[in-house]
Amino acid sequence: MGENANYIIEIQNVGRTFNTASGPFQALKSVNASIPEGVLTILKGRSGSGKTTLLNIVGALDQPTTGRVIIEGQDVSRLNDYQRETLRRKKIGFVFQSVSLIPTMNAFQNVEFSMRMAGVKGDHKKRVEECLKMVGLGSRMHHMPSEMSGGEQQRVAIARAIAHGPSIILADEPTAELDSAMAAEVTKLFQEMTKKEHITIVMTTHDVGLMDAGDMVIELENGVQISQNAEA
Amino acid sequence: MLKVMLQKIWHKKWMVICLLLGSILLIATVVSFPLYRNASYDRMLVDEFDDYLAEKGEWPAMLKFMIMVQKDKNGETIGKMEKTLNELDGVLGVTGKEKVFYYSLSRAELASTTGRSDVDADGLRLGFMSGLPEHAKIISGRMFCDGGMDENGVIEVVVSQECLINNNLLVGETLEFLYMADKKGSPFRIKVVGVFEEQDSTDFYWQVRPSSLGIVALTDEQLFRDTFLGERAEKYTITCYYYDLFNYEDVTAVTANNLYDKTVYYQEQSGVKSTMSAPVYREIMERYFAKRTRIEATLFILQVPVLVLLGAFLFMISGQMYDMERNEISVMKSRGGSSAQMLRLYLYQSIFLAVIGAAGGIPLGAQFCKLLGSTQNFLEFNVRRRLNVTFDATVWKFAAGAMLACVLIMTIPALKHSRLTIVKLKQSNALKKSALWEKLFLDVILLGISLYGYYNYSKNKEMMVMSVMEGQSLDPLLYLSSSLFIVGMGLLFLRLQPWVIRLVYLLGKRFWRPASYAAFMENVKNGRKQQFIMLFMILTISLGMYHAVVARTILQNAKENEEYLVGSDILIKEVWTKTPSNSSNPNAGGPAFIEPDYRKYSSMPDVEAYTKVYSDASASFKTKDKGQMGCTLLAIQTKEYGLITDVSEEITEKAYRLYLNELATEPKGVLASSNLRDSLGFKIGDEVAYKDKYGTTIEAKIIDFFDYWPGYQPTSLVTGADGTAQKQTNTLLVANLATVQKKIGVYPYEIWAKLKPGCDSTNVYAWIRENDVHVNKFRDKAREMEQVVRDPLLQGTNGVLTMGFIVTIILCAVGYLIYWIMSIRSREMVFGVLRACGMHKGELFHMLIDEQLFSGVLSIFAGIGIGTLTSRMFVPMLQMAYAASNQVLPMKLIVNQTDMNRLYVVIAGVMATCLLTLLILVLKLNVTKALKLGEE
Ligand SMILES: Nc1ncnc2c1ncn2[C@@H]1O[C@H](COP(=O)(O)OP(=O)(O)O)[C@@H](O)[C@H]1O
Ligand SMILES: [Mg+2]
Repeated sequence: MGENANYIIEIQNVGRTFNTASGPFQALKSVNASIPEGVLTILKGRSGSGKTTLLNIVGALDQPTTGRVIIEGQDVSRLNDYQRETLRRKKIGFVFQSVSLIPTMNAFQNVEFSMRMAGVKGDHKKRVEECLKMVGLGSRMHHMPSEMSGGEQQRVAIARAIAHGPSIILADEPTAELDSAMAAEVTKLFQEMTKKEHITIVMTTHDVGLMDAGDMVIELENGVQISQNAEA
Repeated sequence: MLKVMLQKIWHKKWMVICLLLGSILLIATVVSFPLYRNASYDRMLVDEFDDYLAEKGEWPAMLKFMIMVQKDKNGETIGKMEKTLNELDGVLGVTGKEKVFYYSLSRAELASTTGRSDVDADGLRLGFMSGLPEHAKIISGRMFCDGGMDENGVIEVVVSQECLINNNLLVGETLEFLYMADKKGSPFRIKVVGVFEEQDSTDFYWQVRPSSLGIVALTDEQLFRDTFLGERAEKYTITCYYYDLFNYEDVTAVTANNLYDKTVYYQEQSGVKSTMSAPVYREIMERYFAKRTRIEATLFILQVPVLVLLGAFLFMISGQMYDMERNEISVMKSRGGSSAQMLRLYLYQSIFLAVIGAAGGIPLGAQFCKLLGSTQNFLEFNVRRRLNVTFDATVWKFAAGAMLACVLIMTIPALKHSRLTIVKLKQSNALKKSALWEKLFLDVILLGISLYGYYNYSKNKEMMVMSVMEGQSLDPLLYLSSSLFIVGMGLLFLRLQPWVIRLVYLLGKRFWRPASYAAFMENVKNGRKQQFIMLFMILTISLGMYHAVVARTILQNAKENEEYLVGSDILIKEVWTKTPSNSSNPNAGGPAFIEPDYRKYSSMPDVEAYTKVYSDASASFKTKDKGQMGCTLLAIQTKEYGLITDVSEEITEKAYRLYLNELATEPKGVLASSNLRDSLGFKIGDEVAYKDKYGTTIEAKIIDFFDYWPGYQPTSLVTGADGTAQKQTNTLLVANLATVQKKIGVYPYEIWAKLKPGCDSTNVYAWIRENDVHVNKFRDKAREMEQVVRDPLLQGTNGVLTMGFIVTIILCAVGYLIYWIMSIRSREMVFGVLRACGMHKGELFHMLIDEQLFSGVLSIFAGIGIGTLTSRMFVPMLQMAYAASNQVLPMKLIVNQTDMNRLYVVIAGVMATCLLTLLILVLKLNVTKALKLGEE
């Protein structure tokens, strides 16, 4: 079905209209993008421009009103709820803007949980430790989320997003609550991961300083895609 | 401030509704106590009076005075007396029913004016009885005319039949007093104008029966007063009787004290004390006061656990509510709101809720009280028996106290929160170490105390029964130890539960599917937060069970015991007349009687079977070492007796019928109570000789021993002269009636009868009346059973336990639902994360069910287990204290499956509602929205 097998994510004419109390509100208008495997894509735009909405649609958390999203050649809108959930737990890792950890599990357990969800076989412990070391938290594995700072929690969330070996990571403003040094570090981590593990990452940001970090940038303004520049 | 508060309340409406429910129930429960107490005391007194009336056929609420006045100057003595008497009802605080003044002159000789010589009127007393014309029926002639004197100045009188015959009077005849003359000196003349009798023989006006007015001629009251009283009283000797009957139905718990005190005053100190006879109701009232003290203590203690639960409920819900407001509070704080301001806000809120609670709770309390009073059995109400609810000062005091308690309970959790700041909030979000009670080993301590109580009572059972018999109220520790046991076990369960969960978790650590895994983690890490609701569930369920079992057991045992003690449905003993002394005596040692016609009993309606039973409580044995030993002899017709009586096989060594068969086949045989074997060393096959009450020796052969026999009490407690209880052993011999009668002759026997199924004794009563059977003893099992159920202590206990059961079930349902729904709502964001990570709806639901399983369901089972254990251990103790003096049958623990099912149905309903809510929540959960919750 995929027209071009090189693109892992294809966004075709995606539009999203919300029904609000004051009538329908169009948050996304006909967005098009094709993202190749193994790149870091930055989805930028001001607050309210529709970044989260688009990311949710790509992550199969939400469905577009018009258009479709194709992931690995599969039309997501044709999947039923159950299949979409399975897609999420096997293929996609999420990092959300604010806390996305499960408060009753410590760092290790949070990371391990995603592997459990994806049904990863084999030695979980090694992989979890590896992932946590990767985000620089090798020494804080048994801390509870409430005992960690926002940045640390966010890094645990990243470790969790990659642990089960997804092909795509969707990160919604992962740097919003971090200081600039830390933000740069997280971005660097993402870059490394695309290189080392050949993961496709889409992250949103409104931080102008990080715009150049991506291999590809999609810019939104009031739900309208104003640019897409793939690196040469 | 008011606006802020109302907004806050609106925002948390579900919580507020729960708090209101809690306050209403708490206030209602508290208020129902004094209401019920007063109302049941009212009725209890009335019941006591009623019982006396039914038993003796006399009006119990009566004061009786008698005075004989000689040469009363200007009638002062009588005047004073009458003044006191007319004020009597007012002083006693009662409403009069009947006031009878019966005055008469001393006996005076008369002669017929017609010169009839056979008139036997040398002993007539002229008098009056107030209100006579209204209560008497004229059977011959007429009533005296108004004013009592005819145009010739003759005093018209009426006499009773007895008087007419005794004195050989004639209606219409005029008689003349020989030595009594009026002012002018002409002798008084009376004319017998009629003969009277009672219009209604059950009328309590007739304190002096016409049949005992054998020498009295009665005339008009006013005429008598004008002629013989006042300044004329000096000349006569006048005997005055006063009967003051009042309505005991109107005596209430509140007026009872005054009535009693004033009665004692009249009897012991007043100017009229020497003229007063001891009123029968004084004793009734004293019995009533003693009962009252015992009931008061018992009922109050029974309510304590329910009150504690209500308090815990309020505490839990308000804590939960403030928890939800944590963020708002800390925001307000960071905007400069002071702790004091916060606290004031919460205080106002609590007061607001308590006031509404009182507005709803006090009327509900009145309803509770009515419900309590109509409790017939556990969870059974008889709508016809309703209590009068009256509010007095104590009720308002209780209500005020309950409101204050509500306010405190609802404000205290806020104390902790009002001091919160953002920083502290973050810190306190971190998981706490063990709770204070765990460190203090409160569970172990509570269990220790309760088990000590248990041990102590198991050891001193007998002493306890005796002290209850001596009129002491139940030891509060008895109730407390069962409650403490429940709380202790609940806490112990909470201490162990995490370890069990952890163990299960570790056992399958590698295999747990994500849903169960997440549920385990939730429980392992957040379990402590749920301890309170878990404890609450355990307490409500086990207390509910315990209460149900206590109520059923106490009542059922009391009923069965009574059934056993009464023996047969109906017992009739006729009045037997002795044979004229000159006829020959067919009886061996005693007087001879004319046996009433036995065949007539075959026409007794509604009766399935009847038999003759001869019992002699003064039979005796001659023993080797102990001399004469008394025993009771019961002579029966085995076949009929077997149709009429029964003893449950559960308690006898062999079937009761077998005993009867043995006796039937051996005319000379006797069945003996087993204590005869134990104390006198009798064996089966022994030839023994015993004497009946008239000294005739009867030879017999012992064919078997029994422990229980209908109506037989192996030991009984009797209150000695010094008021202490003493144990007394009773022995019984059961023999064949034919054999016994052949030997000693026919003595008055009883008729024992069994009613047809579904029949009561109404028709038997009617039959007795119609056939003019002169009954000297009548026992009706149904009536006696009714009295057992009606006993205020039992009924109050039942009522309080029933109400407690209902309240606990409501609390258990509402508490669990609100807690879970609220706590799950607060985790919506986490659910969003889980769903985003690809967790299916089914899995999320599965996770929530697992969480329910680990805490809710586990605590429900713990509650059921603890409830059962507590019932087994403590109910026998409690029951003993109620049954006390005449309990014969071994205690049976009554677990009514319907009660338990009710409890289970409610729990199942709660769980189902809970699951349904979870399902809806899971289905409706919008992942993207839930995730947005975290973005602020
Ligand atoms: N569930 C929703 N219902 C109504 N409007 C929404 C909803 N989600 C987002 N929007 C609106 O769509 C626009 C885009 O939102 P969002 O994608 O969250 O922006 P961004 O993430 O770029 O800040 C906003 O104006 C927001 O108010
Ligand atoms: Mg956003």
